[in-house]
Amino acid sequence: MSPAPNPTARTAIAVSPLALAAQAKWAFSTRRVRQDRASQLLADLAQARPGDLVLGRIVRIGFQKRLQLASGRPADLYTGDLVVMACGARYAPDQFEGLAELDADEVDILAAGGVLGRMRERNAKVAAPTRVAPLGLLADAAGKVINVGDHALPPLQAPTGMTVIGVVGASMNSGKTTASASLAHGLQRAGFEVAAIKATGTGAFGDYNSFVDSGARFVGDFTDVGMVSTYNEPLERIEAGLDTLLAHAAAAGCEIAVVELADGVLQQETAALLRRPVVRDHFAGLMFAAPDALAAVGGCAVLNAIGLEAFALTGTLSLSPLGAQEAEAATGLRVLGRDELLDPAHASALLAGLRAPALKAAA
Amino acid sequence: MKNLPKQSLPPAHDTLHGFHIVWRRAHGRNGLACWLAIPHQRRADTPALVAIHGIQRGAEEMARSFAARAAAEGRVVIAPVFDEAGWTGYQRVVQRRRADLALIALLDELALEGLVGKRPFTLFGFSGGAQFAHRFAMLYPHRIDHLIAAAAGWYTLPDRHSVFPYGLGAESGRQAWGPKFGAALDRFLQLPVSVLVGTLDNLPDETTRSTPELDRRQGRDRLTRARTWTRALTQAARARGLEARFRLHTLADCGHRFIDCVRDGGLVDHVFAPPVPLDACTTALAA
Repeated sequence: MSPAPNPTARTAIAVSPLALAAQAKWAFSTRRVRQDRASQLLADLAQARPGDLVLGRIVRIGFQKRLQLASGRPADLYTGDLVVMACGARYAPDQFEGLAELDADEVDILAAGGVLGRMRERNAKVAAPTRVAPLGLLADAAGKVINVGDHALPPLQAPTGMTVIGVVGASMNSGKTTASASLAHGLQRAGFEVAAIKATGTGAFGDYNSFVDSGARFVGDFTDVGMVSTYNEPLERIEAGLDTLLAHAAAAGCEIAVVELADGVLQQETAALLRRPVVRDHFAGLMFAAPDALAAVGGCAVLNAIGLEAFALTGTLSLSPLGAQEAEAATGLRVLGRDELLDPAHASALLAGLRAPALKAAA
Repeated sequence: MKNLPKQSLPPAHDTLHGFHIVWRRAHGRNGLACWLAIPHQRRADTPALVAIHGIQRGAEEMARSFAARAAAEGRVVIAPVFDEAGWTGYQRVVQRRRADLALIALLDELALEGLVGKRPFTLFGFSGGAQFAHRFAMLYPHRIDHLIAAAAGWYTLPDRHSVFPYGLGAESGRQAWGPKFGAALDRFLQLPVSVLVGTLDNLPDETTRSTPELDRRQGRDRLTRARTWTRALTQAARARGLEARFRLHTLADCGHRFIDCVRDGGLVDHVFAPPVPLDACTTALAA
């Protein structure tokens, strides 16, 4: 009896890892992958899973004119460029919603960090995404499709004894990353060993680099635990990923972690995560970033409805003295601007306020 | 340095006691210069001693006074200079200019040079320096392993009955420092604190701050105020169920001159004595 046909083997094409490394632009989302593993190209795109590496050629420049490289710099894109990105989904109300699905002819760049998929919705203010012709999935010598998850940090249990400060917000671009990085910097200047972590979102180096620049001792995001994007990922995987990031931060000597959750508190993964023990039992407090006073009031109401309370407001709201006054009057919470979060004395006092109950309990 | 003959101080390079004294200039507009006493054999497992001068600005005198004992333990002595031209009011740490940020920046620079590590340091201050030291420790207790406040003119009391800097109550205005100084009070109250003062430092002089409220709450002279503060710390710690690790040491026959306290009062011995351990809380409150 002849062996059953193997469609994967039939469509595999050998590629040169050296040529790939030299000719293709490898996106930030692939940064943990060992590039020399890539030695075959598989044509069976319909089988792509989130995180699988895709080799493609740029066919039309649209919204994304630059690609964030694995090396940490943005690269101009040209029609005809070879690119290596990861298949993934995206949820970004200011840009695109897309799924981790690859059409054989053309696919969309959903995020400049290197996420390829099929766009489903687009904000009317942005242009159509840059389009890519997929040449195939990259596989290793054994024919196994390379997935960013293959190179994730080893999974670990959540550490004990770490003070975790959460930063959530009203929406995308409400100032969460600025607040997170500023607080991490302020705490680092005060003499603490700090981790800055992004637990949910879509792989991109902007936030990651902001965290690195803050001086945090450990920086990590969901891409480090094998997810190109957390949109539509199982909640258990996202939770386990956060546990792993916190554990690696603790192993690196961090005593405090500033953890940003992407998008707004109404986004499905963020909303679900806020109901889970990983947040409710382990976060010492939540800071809420809002673009204006009304969003601050609404966000606090959403948190209160699930039994959570922010300890302070922050975000682009803090740029407006009048907006800040309105928000403080309506919520009774302080609005903390970037300068305050950057100040080691303020950051230190903020942390002490969050830790005080634990200290009293211990005493 | 005033009123002190040069020959009474250790030389800049003391081979016998194993250290050298270095002047390090300030870098940048908000930078601090400092005197360093660097042991020839440094030990990474020992805390640096940061010594803050009073309004006489005797930083060099401090570095030299502590150098030999510190060298014997492999410890670096850092004596920053808050110069008169730029740092009036440094004792209050955050009012006028931010003296806390200047010290943090200096320590960051010295860390890059390998002179201090990440571990908490011993913070000593004399007179105005003791004012700075105890307030800095209230803001950043996690950076300190032992606070030694000698002959402070007055103190920030660990309660909210008075507004900052007299207490931890909020001053008027948006920038209320009192609550920030009080935020880490639990941790501050767990520090070992040595309060030193001369037995003859019991009369107000021309530099002793006096207001009706201050005199009423803390007393009129440094000795009384040291007792008041030590007692207040002890009460605050006990009210929180914390072990009080505060000890008041009076320096016999000493007034308010640093060098007299060194020569006659055994100040250096107190600075290098082990702090009160956690389980030996026999707080010595003078009557």
